[in-house]
Amino acid sequence: MAADTQAGGRPPATPDIPPPRTETGAIGWAYANLFNSRHNAALTVLVGAVTAIGLWFCLKWIIFDADWSVIATIGGRFIIGNYNTDHACPGNNCFWRPQISLLMVTTLLGMGWGIAAGGTAKRVAIAATAIIILLAFLPYSLERMGWDVRLLLLANAPALALGWALGRYTPLGSVRWIIIFTVAGFLIHLLLMRGIEGVPALQPVAINQWGGLTLNLMLAAAGIGLSLPIGIALALGRRSRMPVVKLLCVAFIEVFRGVPLITLLFMSQVLVPLAFPEDFPLDNLFRAAVVITLFSSAYMAENIRGGLQALHRGQAEAARALGLPGWQTTMLISLPQAIRNVIPAIVGQFIGLFKDTSLVYIISMLDVLEIGRTFIQGNTEYLSHAKELFIFIALVFWVFTYGMSYISGKVEEHLGVGRR
Amino acid sequence: MIDTKPETAPNEEPMIIARDVHKWFGNFHVLRGVTTSVELGNKVVIVGPSGSGKSTFIRTINRLEEHQRGDIIVDGTPLTQDVRNIDAIRRDVGMVFQQFNLFPHLSVLQNVTLAPVKVRKWKRSDADDVAMELLTRVGIPEQANKYPGELSGGQQQRVAIARALAMRPKIMLFDEPTSALDPEMIREVLDVMRDLAESGMTMIIVTHEIGFATEVADRILMFDEGVIIEDAPPAQFFNNPQQPRTQTFLSQILT
Ligand SMILES: Nc1ncnc2c1ncn2[C@@H]1O[C@H](COP(=O)(O)OP(=O)(O)OP(=O)(O)O)[C@@H](O)[C@H]1O
Ligand SMILES: [Mg+2]
Repeated sequence: MAADTQAGGRPPATPDIPPPRTETGAIGWAYANLFNSRHNAALTVLVGAVTAIGLWFCLKWIIFDADWSVIATIGGRFIIGNYNTDHACPGNNCFWRPQISLLMVTTLLGMGWGIAAGGTAKRVAIAATAIIILLAFLPYSLERMGWDVRLLLLANAPALALGWALGRYTPLGSVRWIIIFTVAGFLIHLLLMRGIEGVPALQPVAINQWGGLTLNLMLAAAGIGLSLPIGIALALGRRSRMPVVKLLCVAFIEVFRGVPLITLLFMSQVLVPLAFPEDFPLDNLFRAAVVITLFSSAYMAENIRGGLQALHRGQAEAARALGLPGWQTTMLISLPQAIRNVIPAIVGQFIGLFKDTSLVYIISMLDVLEIGRTFIQGNTEYLSHAKELFIFIALVFWVFTYGMSYISGKVEEHLGVGRR
Repeated sequence: MIDTKPETAPNEEPMIIARDVHKWFGNFHVLRGVTTSVELGNKVVIVGPSGSGKSTFIRTINRLEEHQRGDIIVDGTPLTQDVRNIDAIRRDVGMVFQQFNLFPHLSVLQNVTLAPVKVRKWKRSDADDVAMELLTRVGIPEQANKYPGELSGGQQQRVAIARALAMRPKIMLFDEPTSALDPEMIREVLDVMRDLAESGMTMIIVTHEIGFATEVADRILMFDEGVIIEDAPPAQFFNNPQQPRTQTFLSQILT
């Protein structure tokens, strides 16, 4: 009730009247929006018919005509590539290592749910865990997917609960700790995946054997986590009053924006090694991560600069007039507003980055798409089912990008962009 | 009610001294030798036609604009390139803008406590207490947890005044604080400013609210083309202006 706007708490002069009722319910809505004129009604019927026919053919194909066995055959390799094959991991007992990483992810999602006031973190955490739990019940024979694999997948439910309790009831339930744990978890993940020489349970797995969706997600996570801070630094540098800093930032941005990512990935083979000492263990994964991150940072810098540019001059002036030094004005006043205003562009950049991780196939890394493509190439009996395969891979990408887009929409709502 | 009187004992020096201040925007000579001074506790109102340099002048006092010739001395500290001097002066000089310039991503309370916590290093709880007192003083304690976008213009400007006062400034600068407001909101903001004037604050106010100026001002300065062409107490300024330009200007704004 907005009574506090009534000066001195006076009773209102006229009684409150509820707002006029508009047409409610599905029928009311359809009537008001779809059949409100003869013209519109005809259009609705036409579009409806075309959609129905299209949908019918799609469903018929999906259910009766398509043969999805190719997906089942590739199975877990979609997720971890050749990581657990004889060649990469003699004995095939490396499968549990990426599973530990997955458990860390669900724990973090649980922590997010535990501390968040809104329902978005909860929905995302539950949806992700539900998908993982469903995987445990895939109708594979026990020989192809053993109890151990299934139990590790099921363990994500208690992991989620543990994370939730940590976030809810312990002092670790803060955004700062989530960030710290995320970074630490990523490093633990890298160590686990790499293995340790001399520890039997952790026999080393060559990095060029890593692949599948894990590879896409790792590259995306590193790229997203680093390109935002680097992009912010570049954007601030480009606005710097020091000519050298400004020039360097402009040069960096223009170079990395001006060259296609594919070219950069090729160049990474020859150029990245120049920037490191000779005996530095440079693998393709590291080079790809560097290039993807820098490429994305250049775009990120321009997004953020756009946000800074759009701010009213009076904001910084008011902060300076209060005695805030320049860097605090930037960190507390300008940047938070600039970033809020360009969240859609930033998330668009993140989504683009995630999809671009597929391009690492050109430096012979087996991302999820390349796993599928090479499989078809090596097993020509499945050639006629390439359709099913690529539709499935497209769906996998879509689930993640839609998730990002959903979360960003909710973050925007939460921050009240455009309202305040 | 909080005591906003300066803590320092009254000294002989004026709070603000401007001597032959010049300022150019590119080749455009905006301030062409402004010389004046403001005593402790005095209220000075600045009027003048649009583009005459009123805003530019008061913005040189806290270095939002840099002057290129002449001297400005605020509470004994000369405004030079020395960043420490500039920061010291900004801490002691509050400013209220025509467009309020509240921080839209912070709540009203956070707007008011930001500078005391970050610049004066107060404890958050102390800053919150002072902020609530100030919001009560400007009449909107119940809006503390709202965001600026949810307030009326008059309420926003009162928050802006509270925000400036939270730093315990010795001087307050107002640049047309009511020009962006509807008439009934103008009154609520002027009431707050009148109250502040009575508390003994040193104030420089750019405004065309003649009634308010007559009531509150010790002196009225008339700016024209970058110089002060008339400097007189309100009664004399309005009833018996010396300069023909002032007479023309007054006849325009008083109709
Ligand atoms: N940042 C700037 N760059 C270039 N010119 C400026 C700048 N700020 C102000 N000016 C010019 O300087 C002159 C004086 O501006 P100022 O804002 O001080 O006038 P004012 O007396 O406050 O006028 P008003 O009553 O319209 O606010 C104007 O001609 C204006 O166009
Ligand atoms: Mg002005």
